[in-house]
Amino acid sequence: MNSTRRGLNRTLVLLVGLIALAAGAAVVWASLSGDAHRVWTQTLTAAADAVDAAHSATLVGAGPVSWAGLGAVAGAVILIVLLLVPVALLAHRRSRTVLRSTETDAAPGRVVVREGFASDAVTASLARRADILSTRVVADDVRNAPVLHVSVTPRPQASPREIADHVAAVGARLDALLERPTRTYISLHAGLRARLASDRRTLT
Amino acid sequence: MSTTASPDRALARVRRRETHSPRSTAMVVAVVLMIALVAYLGAEALLLMAGAPALIAAPADLLRGLSVASGTAMTAIGATVALVGAVLVVIAVTPGRLAKHTMAAADGTIVVVDNGVIAAALAQHLSDVLGIDRRRLTVGVGHRRVDVTVRPETGLGIDLDGVRAAAEAELATYRLNPSVALSVRRRLEKKEER
Repeated sequence: MNSTRRGLNRTLVLLVGLIALAAGAAVVWASLSGDAHRVWTQTLTAAADAVDAAHSATLVGAGPVSWAGLGAVAGAVILIVLLLVPVALLAHRRSRTVLRSTETDAAPGRVVVREGFASDAVTASLARRADILSTRVVADDVRNAPVLHVSVTPRPQASPREIADHVAAVGARLDALLERPTRTYISLHAGLRARLASDRRTLT
Repeated sequence: MSTTASPDRALARVRRRETHSPRSTAMVVAVVLMIALVAYLGAEALLLMAGAPALIAAPADLLRGLSVASGTAMTAIGATVALVGAVLVVIAVTPGRLAKHTMAAADGTIVVVDNGVIAAALAQHLSDVLGIDRRRLTVGVGHRRVDVTVRPETGLGIDLDGVRAAAEAELATYRLNPSVALSVRRRLEKKEER
């Protein structure tokens, strides 16, 4: 249950992919076709001349520093910072709120239930089941609505239907306790721990 | 559990996000490649202005060097770059479905199950119900398909219709989305095939 900006991720991957595809295809085309190689040589030579000309025309005093060079360095720094933004957005601070009520005339005051309360209640309820290896409960906001995520690693022989129904029933009891419905998402995971538990079961 | 308005947009979003890849790894790889390229060009520009020797070549000399490059090495480099680009484009436009299914729940709760959990549970169920050694059962769960392969002991027959009926009954209780087609096969041991 993460809040990664997937559209941004895909757009960036597509953009870099298209640039690499176009550049690579141009290099291959230039190396395989005589006409294309002439165009390639003329284009890159013209670009190199343009870089030299821009550097020479914007020199600051008698030294090698030019406004064009400074602009290029500044542009590179800005671009690197912009490229780091989506990476920084991957780190997300969870709201840790399970339930949030709004104040009304009939029910004055706000009620906020935090992750720890729900986690303790659900984990303790599921700890008695032998077919569940581990449980993790976290809460976060999705579309500004609190959602409780119960992540369960069952033993390999366990029925996912039975476990899902049991976890849902535990959630229903939590709803009854809180006197309000909570949005709940249950995930059942296979993993190394489940496989190791299976081996242990076979040996005993 | 959740008796909020149905279909709940927040839970629908969770369902979509938990069954599809966020493409974060590909994005980080693409961003690192771009940053490395931009940082290199920026460093060359900085060294040129500082009057220091270039790392590889000054920007204009680099372009001139590339303009005269040719041969097999250039083709190979171009093909590699194009291939990386093509892979990134494919990653960006494909749905990136994860090896998971959702299970229907009566009260609107979202249940997402790893295909591995479904496969292990179904194999164990068939072993318990039909009395087949668990090690002689292989269950593979794909996006739209479940394959059950039974390797009976030499000389022993196996009722494939019984296996199919038991597997279908168990899968029906899971109420998977997307629904899956069941395929049951018998595979002979190598000695028996000879």
